[in-house]
Amino acid sequence: MNARILMLAGALGGLVAPAAARAQSERLAGRLDDRTRAAVTALVDSARAAGLPADPLVNKALEGASKGADGARIAAAVRALAGDLTRTRAVLGRTATEAELVAGAAALRAGATPAFLERLRADYPREPLVVPLAVMADLVARGVPADTAVRSVLALVRTGMREAELVAFRQSVERDVALGAPAGAAAAVRVNAAERDFANTATGQQPPSAPPRPRKP
Amino acid sequence: MHGTADDPLIARIAAELRRPVPLRPDFDARVMAAVRRAIPSLPVRAWTWLREPRVVAVSPLGGLAMAAGLAGLLVVGTISRKPSAISRQQSAVSRQPSAVSRQQAAVGRQPSAVGAGAAASVTFVLVAPQARSVALAGDFNDWDAARVLMRREASGLWTVDVPLAPGRYRYVFVVDGRRFVADPAAPRAVGDDFGTPTSVVTVGGGALRAAGGSL
Repeated sequence: MNARILMLAGALGGLVAPAAARAQSERLAGRLDDRTRAAVTALVDSARAAGLPADPLVNKALEGASKGADGARIAAAVRALAGDLTRTRAVLGRTATEAELVAGAAALRAGATPAFLERLRADYPREPLVVPLAVMADLVARGVPADTAVRSVLALVRTGMREAELVAFRQSVERDVALGAPAGAAAAVRVNAAERDFANTATGQQPPSAPPRPRKP
Repeated sequence: MHGTADDPLIARIAAELRRPVPLRPDFDARVMAAVRRAIPSLPVRAWTWLREPRVVAVSPLGGLAMAAGLAGLLVVGTISRKPSAISRQQSAVSRQPSAVSRQQAAVGRQPSAVGAGAAASVTFVLVAPQARSVALAGDFNDWDAARVLMRREASGLWTVDVPLAPGRYRYVFVVDGRRFVADPAAPRAVGDDFGTPTSVVTVGGGALRAAGGSL
C-alpha cells in the first residue's frame, strides 16, 4: 500500500513540477539572452531538485535583467542567492516557508550568523520568522552593527513584541539615526527601553515615563 | 427394455454418430470472420469500459495524497497567474522626482499566518512633482515596470496600492521609464547585486508572541 501511495504522490508531483518549471521558464523568456537564460535555468532546476524555492531565484534574475546587468553578473547573483537559501534552510529546516527562507537569506547576507537563525527557530518553532529576520537585516541596512542587530531582535522577541511592534522599533531606530544618533547606540537605547517596559509590566510597575493612573474614588 | 452395445440398432446409431461430418473448405475462415465481427472496435470497447460501474478502493492515506496533489496543482496555477493579479495603473504627467517618498508597509495589519497566502494591500508612495511617469518594479511583478504604473495625485504625489502576500519583497521606483530610484522612506536591501539601490518591504502575517524564550 505504501508503495502505491508513493507512486501516486510521485505521479502527482511529476505533474506539478513540470508545470512549475514551465511557468518559470516562461517568466524568463524574452528577458534574458539565450546563454544567460540557460545558465539561470540550470541553477533554478538544480535548486528545485534540492527542494529550494525557485521563485526567489527567478526574481533575482529578472531584477538583474530589469536593471540591465550583464549575464555573468546575473548568474553570479542567482548562484549567491541559491547558496544563501541553502544555508538558511539547513538551519531553519525543511518546514521553513519560502518567505522565511528569503528573509533568512537576507539576514545572513546582512551579517547574521546561522546561530541567530537557529536560536529564533528553536525558541519559536511554530511562529513565522519573516518579520524578526527582516527587521534584523533592515537594522543592518540602516547602519546598526550586525551583532547588535542580532542581540536586539532576540531581546525584543523575548519581551513579547508582536510583528507590528518590531517594525515600529525599527522605525524608531531609523528616526533616531536620521536625527544624528549613532545607529548602534540608537538600537541599544531602544532595546533597553523596551526591556525596561517589559520588566515593569511583568512586575506590575508602571514605566517611569508613564503618567500616574487616576485613583478610584 | 435396455439396449446394449451388441444391439444392432445401437451399433447403427453409434456408427452414424461416428461418421465424419463433411465440411466446406472455407469453414474455418468463415468462423474466424464471424468471431472478428463480434468483437467491438477499440473506441467502442473503451467507451464501454468507461461507462461500466466499478468499485474503487482507496485508503485514507491514498485519498489524502490525491487531495494534496490536487491542492498542489491549484497552488501552481495560482502562482503562475500571480503577476496578472496586480492591477495596471494609469500614469500621469510630471517631471523630476523629489527625494521624499512615503511607503506604508502592511506589517501587523493582517492577522493570518505567513504562507497562508492572504494578501495585504500595500500603498507605495513617491513624491516626484517633476516626473512624467513613475512605475513600480519588484519581486511581486517580475520586475516589469510596465505592469504597475503609479497614478499622480495632488502636489506631485505618486501612489499605487499593490496586494502582497506575507513575505519580504525587493523593489524600486522607475521614474520616466529609465531611472531607478530607491524608496527613501523604506529600508535598503543589504548588498545590492546589480549596483543600484533597492528597497525592501516586509509584509507580516503572524502574531509573533514570545513563549518564554531565553537569550
